[in-house]
Amino acid sequence: MRQAGSYSGILISGKTGPHLLPLARIKKIMKKSGDGVKMISGESPIVFSKACEMFIKELTQRSWMVTMQGKRRTLNKEDVASAVMATDLFDFLLNLVSEMDTSKSS
Amino acid sequence: MVDEQNRTLPIANVGRIMKQILPPSAKLSLEAKQRMQECATEFISFVTSEASDKCHKENRRTMTGDDICRALSALGLDNYAGAIVRYLHKYREAERERIIASQNKATSSSRDEDIEESDQSGQPSHQADQTPTPLMNIFI
Repeated sequence: MRQAGSYSGILISGKTGPHLLPLARIKKIMKKSGDGVKMISGESPIVFSKACEMFIKELTQRSWMVTMQGKRRTLNKEDVASAVMATDLFDFLLNLVSEMDTSKSS
Repeated sequence: MVDEQNRTLPIANVGRIMKQILPPSAKLSLEAKQRMQECATEFISFVTSEASDKCHKENRRTMTGDDICRALSALGLDNYAGAIVRYLHKYREAERERIIASQNKATSSSRDEDIEESDQSGQPSHQADQTPTPLMNIFI
């Protein structure tokens, strides 16, 4: 099991790896995000590895608060959707979460 | 199915990160992990598009870590931008030190060879030519 906190690892030891997310996959996703994305510096996927980790942790934490409000112990997909809807910063995900709900019901 | 796996972040990694922040007794449904996988992937696309637009406007071809930081700020994700700027700074420092350390190692090993050769022939040998490694612009 990997050690948590690659960020704190950097601050203390100066080591930058291992990363929690695969850099090659991140690069693939970046390249697919638009025609304009041609060249990417070596540090970009590394930056996103960290940013995604922060994003996932924040959205998970917010989703878990919804779970607890419902007095449940299992975080489900509706909790994730609720957290997205309750957070202005995550407005860019609104279409995505509403698409998921409609595809489930159909 | 395979296609989907290649266009999103791997669910195992996403699940691992989620578990790091949840209490040990918390349970995580598979669908919740799948939703998070989709959301995190969209996050990358969204921020990348913003960074890419900026590069285009400034007639630059290569997206850098700084562009991603600026995009995070522009999209209202200032707290991420701040932390990422610090992370990037530390990463670049660590890279610089790694390169200097490997250059020093190469220099000292060739210096040892010099000493051996000058003992034998009385003439110092040439050091290996070292081309400087570009630090930040490592193009993929």
